Amino acid sequence: MLSPRWRKAAGDLLMHKGRTLLVIVAIAVGLAGSGVILNAWALVEVATTEGFHASDPAAATLRLDLVDSALLARVRRVPGVRDVQARRVTSARATVGGASVSAMLFTVEDFTALRIGRVLPKVGEWPPADGSLTIETSSVAFSGAAVGEDVQLGFGAGRLVATRVRGIVRDVTLAPGWMEHVLYGFVSQETLERMGAPSAMNELQLVVSDHSLDRDGVRRIAYAARAAAEASGRRVFDVDVPVPGEHIHAAQMDSLLYTQGAFALMALVLSALLVVNLVSAMLAGQTREIGVMKAIGGRWQQIAAMYLVVAAVLGVAALAPAVPIALVAGRQYAAVKAELLNFEIAGHAVPAWVIALQVVVGILLPVIAAAFPVWRGCRIQVSDALRDVGISDAGSTDGLAYRVSGLSRPLLFSLRNAFRRRQRMALTLLALASGGAVFLGALNLRASVLGATGAIFDTQHYDFSLRVSEPQVADSLEMMVRAVSGVEAAEAWTGARATIDHGDGLSGNSIPVTAAPAGTQMLSPTVLEGRWLRAGDTRALVVNRGAQHADGALQVGATVRLTIDAVTERWTVVGLVESTPGPTAYATREALVARGGGVRTIVVRSAIPGDVAQLDLIQRLRGALADRGVSVSSSTMLAESRRSTEDHLLMVVDFLGSMGWLMLLVGGLGLASTMGLAVLERTREIGVLRAIGARHSTILIMIQVEGLTVALLSWALAIPLSIPMSVFLAKAFSRIMLRVPVTYVPNMTGVGIWLGLAVVVSLLACAWPARRAMRVPTAAALAYD
Amino acid sequence: MPRPSAGSPNGSTTPANGTLGGACIPYVPFMTQTTPGATAPLIQIRSVRKQYPTAAGAFTALDGVSLTIDRGEFVAVIGESGSGKSTLLSLMAGIDRPSSGEVIVGDTAVHQLGEAAMSEWRGRTVGIVFQFFQLLPTLSAAENVMLPMDFCNRWPSRERRARAIAILDSLGVADQADKLPSRLSGGQQQRVAIARALANDPPLLLADEPTGNLDSRTSEAMLELFANLVRDGRTLVLVTHATTALRFAGRAITIADGHILSDASTLAHA
Repeated sequence: MLSPRWRKAAGDLLMHKGRTLLVIVAIAVGLAGSGVILNAWALVEVATTEGFHASDPAAATLRLDLVDSALLARVRRVPGVRDVQARRVTSARATVGGASVSAMLFTVEDFTALRIGRVLPKVGEWPPADGSLTIETSSVAFSGAAVGEDVQLGFGAGRLVATRVRGIVRDVTLAPGWMEHVLYGFVSQETLERMGAPSAMNELQLVVSDHSLDRDGVRRIAYAARAAAEASGRRVFDVDVPVPGEHIHAAQMDSLLYTQGAFALMALVLSALLVVNLVSAMLAGQTREIGVMKAIGGRWQQIAAMYLVVAAVLGVAALAPAVPIALVAGRQYAAVKAELLNFEIAGHAVPAWVIALQVVVGILLPVIAAAFPVWRGCRIQVSDALRDVGISDAGSTDGLAYRVSGLSRPLLFSLRNAFRRRQRMALTLLALASGGAVFLGALNLRASVLGATGAIFDTQHYDFSLRVSEPQVADSLEMMVRAVSGVEAAEAWTGARATIDHGDGLSGNSIPVTAAPAGTQMLSPTVLEGRWLRAGDTRALVVNRGAQHADGALQVGATVRLTIDAVTERWTVVGLVESTPGPTAYATREALVARGGGVRTIVVRSAIPGDVAQLDLIQRLRGALADRGVSVSSSTMLAESRRSTEDHLLMVVDFLGSMGWLMLLVGGLGLASTMGLAVLERTREIGVLRAIGARHSTILIMIQVEGLTVALLSWALAIPLSIPMSVFLAKAFSRIMLRVPVTYVPNMTGVGIWLGLAVVVSLLACAWPARRAMRVPTAAALAYD
Repeated sequence: MPRPSAGSPNGSTTPANGTLGGACIPYVPFMTQTTPGATAPLIQIRSVRKQYPTAAGAFTALDGVSLTIDRGEFVAVIGESGSGKSTLLSLMAGIDRPSSGEVIVGDTAVHQLGEAAMSEWRGRTVGIVFQFFQLLPTLSAAENVMLPMDFCNRWPSRERRARAIAILDSLGVADQADKLPSRLSGGQQQRVAIARALANDPPLLLADEPTGNLDSRTSEAMLELFANLVRDGRTLVLVTHATTALRFAGRAITIADGHILSDASTLAHA
């Protein structure tokens, strides 16, 4: 049986069930929000770490002209190399249900002996039999391919070969196919030969013995392998060394989760402010009881312990719904994140320590939040406590609320009431305004992202691009395309992959080089530093921020040694531009074509706007080029790329913005709790008002106006607060996805929506307290002590 | 029906040594028996001055008051509102501290105690009865009585309820033990408040206008009850502005404007 003091603590909690419930819900929302993020992060971390390591991903990949067993044996003997494997990566075209997509086919000599970059069979056949195709799971939905159906595969200008999909696997080392717009497939050498594609191995993957090596450590081993390959007479085109043990998108995902985690933590702190309000109000209402308890022998520590246990009970009650909700929602959110990373979370559980942490935080947070008000409340002198007569303070009479005039008496009363408990009002205001600031900040971020993507795509003045299977002579390809009706303009572009040679035996990863003709009319990126390319540039390079970030040597004015197609030459960086999120460099088409080879891409501006017209033009161009013996392997519409890019970026914006809704919910609950307390404390005043003739509607309006006063102040406060929030969000987003400019000034529509939201939140939050105020009988209200 | 027994502070069952309303009060005047120099006054107030800061300047509630109260006395402190009588009681109870001067109860210099020590001392030494009863509304009558035992831990927890019921029984309200204060009449609430004051078996009872909220008949009964408690060996200081108390008290101290105007035996219990 509980002793009297603990029974008192329980009784206090149960005395005002509605108010207690509000605070429990608010803490639960904060806990569930942060729990979802924490669970998702932990689950993704476990799934990616275990999944990634289980696949034994390649520490380095060398792209060569040919990999044979002798070379494998030689590289295997390179110090530090634990294992090697040869594979072929073939760019192909695929047609699924009449739609063309780019395909990337992976081939090894014996799939049953796959040791590096192991795949996880999910459905159907593995390894792929001759003549059949196994697709990577992240390509399934985007491509429309299905097990048991045929995919038409073609290589170069060769004919399309019907290949039956017989299985689905997951390869966690690949970026998701739906994100890359590529159909990943696994085929045997024999299948490649049927397509007319070369089947000899052209990539060498290696893993290292020492797992603790950093990127440079692995690079040294990879370059020793390259030297061994070159000593064997092989040509090495490229050496790729990813960050050891880390998925390609892991850093972005971590940044996203950390940013969301910061907001979830804010929501949690805001919910703790409600505990401060509740406990402060409880203590204020029980000042005399505290005095009596002290008078009959209670030490302040004993009394404080009672209230702190009350706070802990609030936490426990909030944990009851919050933990399971966070587990379920966290798992679903983790599944979304895992999909972005091309992992799956099935078979993985949220670690026990993560749940234990939530429980500890859930209990301690309200206790910590209550600590100061409890300390202050329980340290009161007995004599002061016994003299307490409840809320009598009218607040400062020299404040703004007392200078307002011209309003009706009840409205003035409401306005002044809002300022009577200033600390409580300030905390409520802060909670609601923080939610509003995140809401406005997220809207600003959305505008920034759309502006940034617009800035990128608006510099590309074409409607679609076609990729041809075999290199072509630029002028003749342009003539062929321009001859087709509906083509307003066309330019032949080419590209390559370049690696920077630092001269210390180590090179960075390769970056793509896009080469448009000098004086191009189809591309005009914003120049941030230096200049854009011009006619006569032979070995001049323009880079974007991504490239500069990837390799610090790419500074404007610097001369770097670039290896392109196994040839190393000195290039000068002449400009820095704003363009795509990933690293990209630009050279003139003439500079690359002069090194031998033709062009593979033609970009086209349509004379007729609209997706349908452009699709028709693409079909006609395919036919016209085919008639001239030129096969189009794939086509990409710029509008589609833009939509896809925006969708992906806005998805992240929405993830971040969702935390604003969470905080608004907590803020709304805070307002409801505050108004509930206000009504309770002023029960006697309400009784007096009713005794002197106030009607139900008057009481209702007074309570609502008081709530609206707080809501409108929150609305106003959120506007300046949204500026630092916008800066924070823009910086976080720039770190996660794409560098975006900061939009400081909230747009008027957003401010209007936030005003509407604040009003709605206030009306809803005050509905229950107002109803309660109206229902108190006058006699009971007057007798209330 | 057998009456529940109540233990003594050391856990042994003590035979009744006094009667109240026909019920046993298990009072052991431990301070009187165990304190060296037991013949010294129980309360010594020496040159006490108490001022309160107000917006209009310092208000002097007591101005150089000195008095002593012996063990077993029933003292009525009489005065008008604002005379300083309640302040005097608060100082004796350690509820308030003097601005200057000394308050000594037994061997304890109350004015020098820290806040936590003061609470503990008060719980063991002083039983306070308030004008407005000040029962905790969320606790039943018995639980209100058990609360001081809970705080001071003077009785084993398994004996506390039995002791609370015994005290309530001695005051004639045992049948109200499990009711919340809001369900009790004013007189019943005040009896529960007195029971709470007796919970830790204190040698000193301080009552601040205990009949101020009661009708005249209940007030008389209550004063009779206090007189019986004094006959059991307790010391009682009762603050009142009603002269009815003089019929029960052995000594009357009249206060006005922070000064003692008179201090005389009423001969009520001589």
